[in-house]
Amino acid sequence: MIYGIKRVLNYALGRDIAGHTLAVRPDDTFIVSYPRSGNTWTRFLVANLLHPQEAATFANIERLVPDAEAQSSRYMLRIPSPRTIKSHSYFDPRYPRVIYIVRDPRDVALSYYDFSRKYGHIEDSYPLERYIGDFVTGRLSSADWGTWGENVASWAFARGARPGFLLLRYEDMKALPDRELTRIAKFLGIPASPNQLQTILDRSSADRMREMERTQGKDWVSTKDKRSDIPFIRTASVGGWKNQLRPESVAEIESAWGNIMVHLGYELVTHTAESRVTQLAGETVLGEQRG
Amino acid sequence: MMQRLVRGMRRALGLHHPGRNLEVWPDDIFILSFPKSGNTWSRFLIANLVYPETPADFSNINRLTPDPEALSKRELARMPRPRIIKSHQYFDPRYKRVIYIVRDPRDVALSQFHFHRKRGLIDDGYSQEKFVSRFVAGETSPYGSWGENLAGWLATRQNRPGFLLLRYEDMLEDAARELNKVGSFLGIPLGAERVANAVRRSTVDEMRKLEKSQAHLWSSTQSTRQDVPFVRAAKAGGWKTGLPEAAVAQLEGAWGHLMTYLGYELLFPAKTTDFDSQFVEALLHGPSR
Repeated sequence: MIYGIKRVLNYALGRDIAGHTLAVRPDDTFIVSYPRSGNTWTRFLVANLLHPQEAATFANIERLVPDAEAQSSRYMLRIPSPRTIKSHSYFDPRYPRVIYIVRDPRDVALSYYDFSRKYGHIEDSYPLERYIGDFVTGRLSSADWGTWGENVASWAFARGARPGFLLLRYEDMKALPDRELTRIAKFLGIPASPNQLQTILDRSSADRMREMERTQGKDWVSTKDKRSDIPFIRTASVGGWKNQLRPESVAEIESAWGNIMVHLGYELVTHTAESRVTQLAGETVLGEQRG
Repeated sequence: MMQRLVRGMRRALGLHHPGRNLEVWPDDIFILSFPKSGNTWSRFLIANLVYPETPADFSNINRLTPDPEALSKRELARMPRPRIIKSHQYFDPRYKRVIYIVRDPRDVALSQFHFHRKRGLIDDGYSQEKFVSRFVAGETSPYGSWGENLAGWLATRQNRPGFLLLRYEDMLEDAARELNKVGSFLGIPLGAERVANAVRRSTVDEMRKLEKSQAHLWSSTQSTRQDVPFVRAAKAGGWKTGLPEAAVAQLEGAWGHLMTYLGYELLFPAKTTDFDSQFVEALLHGPSR
């Protein structure tokens, strides 16, 4: 009952977490991805693009690009329009403009494992192989995100290559950061010179973000009161799964989402007759998508 | 703030209609579709199949197949399990057993045009082309656009356990055949007589008769125009004479890839080379668990 009264009061005062009840505005832009897919890096890139006079930090990022799933309804209400908002939600038709970042689920799973230990959701001794099983079924993930496949496929398939939807691959951002940042700037309609782009990339580099995590980790809603011996900004690399995931774990991920992975340009290593067929289809698609 | 306090109190007491915030149980079964796609007919068919001792009508359909937009959180929590829930929601990962009914979007748009007249949301003279533009943009319902609603569910669930896709047009052609699929999906022991009875109790004539006598008893028809029926044509292809060509072109331009996949023949040549079409291929013919 006390809990009930508290909930009513929190709701009345707008202190409830915005999340799916966020009041979306027609001029909102969302940065969406499954967790551990480069969302924070993209948030920093976008914040530094939008606010050249104020470099993004862990202390101001919630003001520059607020997190709808960490902030209250009231907080979100007070952010002036046009807002740029971070989210991990699966497809939400109310989001008018979306930058969606996708990352190889084999790397996502590995990163999520460390994150889950950092957050105390699992013990250090929890076997990675078992965790991969949980990752595939979604047993340990929030119902607000769905599984990796549900999150990615619901967005990519519902919005596809339509206006107001920019699909980025984390791996492309790592390989060609200026090209991908230019696409983001174009999508947001912000002119930026090569010099400005370089400043933005420097201000959002993994080294700088690691340094900020060390000094400001206590100031940020996503890292405060969490284990500090496991970093939030982890390797920021591509392909770690190749030597850290067992073949059975790789096969488990690929059999669940191989078709989506191939379509997004992630080569499968567990070959089956069926997946080779879709791989061919995937290559042509990607050629067009990049063009 | 007062408004939020009142809303918060109603919420705490469970008097609100939960809609999308429905508390989902793992054994819940969902009858899902975009609005105006045969959802009500499916509810009648399935209710009459599962609960043969209680003939479905407009006064009991919300209890037999509960609607989270029409019942309170408290009522929904007290329903016997497993619940067979009616919904139009866009993709929700918590829904684990889903019967999704899809209908040709050209007929859906036409039906929704008339439904919006019935509800007084548009005048009788409202431009159909303008309505279809809004329909394509997803502005005529709170459940995403027709394509977004369908794509979200197909992309995540098609060819996986716990998902049954039915075409309204196939149900029109042979309701008993499609209802047999529902029966096996739900694991209900079937007999030809049980299925035939369910179909007979859910015919369009039967439903029209019930609408006439019970429209005032049902949440979806209360306080709407009585001169425009809820149970409308109940047929396929009405768009051919009922929609202007420009509106048809708009619908096909937006969703030709999905329509082709579903077997709805296009009037205009399809644009087959985009991201979407290939994604349809990859998702629907690729590996599945």
